[in-house]
Amino acid sequence: MNEANAMRVLIVDDSSVMRKIVERALRQAGLEPMEVLEAGSGIDGLEILRGGTVHLIVSDINMPLMDGLEFLRQIRAQKLAGGVPVVMITTESSEEHVKQAILSGAQAYIRKPFTAEQVKERVLPLLVGV
Amino acid sequence: MSDPQNLHETVDEVFLMMLNMSCDAIEQQAIQDSETITAVVGFGGLLSGACVFRSGKSVALSIAATMTGMEFSEIDDMVKDAIGELCNMLAGVWKGKVPELSANCGLSIPAVITGRDYSIHVQAPEFRLHQEYRFEDEVFEVMIICDGLH
Repeated sequence: MNEANAMRVLIVDDSSVMRKIVERALRQAGLEPMEVLEAGSGIDGLEILRGGTVHLIVSDINMPLMDGLEFLRQIRAQKLAGGVPVVMITTESSEEHVKQAILSGAQAYIRKPFTAEQVKERVLPLLVGV
Repeated sequence: MSDPQNLHETVDEVFLMMLNMSCDAIEQQAIQDSETITAVVGFGGLLSGACVFRSGKSVALSIAATMTGMEFSEIDDMVKDAIGELCNMLAGVWKGKVPELSANCGLSIPAVITGRDYSIHVQAPEFRLHQEYRFEDEVFEVMIICDGLH
């Protein structure tokens, strides 16, 4: 992927610190060149998706205004980002939470705290052919 | 649930994975900084209570710098965000170590308090875990305060 054709990644998290940490982990995983779009809630995330194409969505679950699961349901309902892989990154790690995320349309699930290596293992296989 | 070992393992896991640092539990020792920061993440659902992280300014700045790769001289919004997120992870990992809580207990959005000479009062919790940890040459404390299972 060349500079003009950078991977566009949407990171949705109410914490700006977590958005930075996720971006850094993705860069360490080798996602370069990468253009990062940031949203502080599901509502902002939907707005970004209405405005253009992304290749990957990484979202928190616990957020004010619109949480990550509702964000995923809205992506489906509004037919946005068709075929784009979605990864949930959250402190919630129970089987029930994972099941809910997968049912809502997530392809992968990463529990906080995480290492850059874990991000690489979960995310890269989803981007084959992108 | 009230096993202190769960708390030690939680702190170890979060600090090792997010900051690549380990912290030793220590005997009770006061935080020296006059300016402190406290983050609170509430538990709801099966359990009522909260996870509380408290440190002095210098520890907070150091943690935020390590988490973000940025430099900080004051407790600004980014530092508050980092400490709130750290507390969120501590709360999440701790409840994940208690099987009956993992799926049946939600976490609130972190609340962060900063300043001097303030105290946090909690009305007679059913149980309290309270531990100081050494971070570099300074101290932070983590508390789990709970009213027990509903």
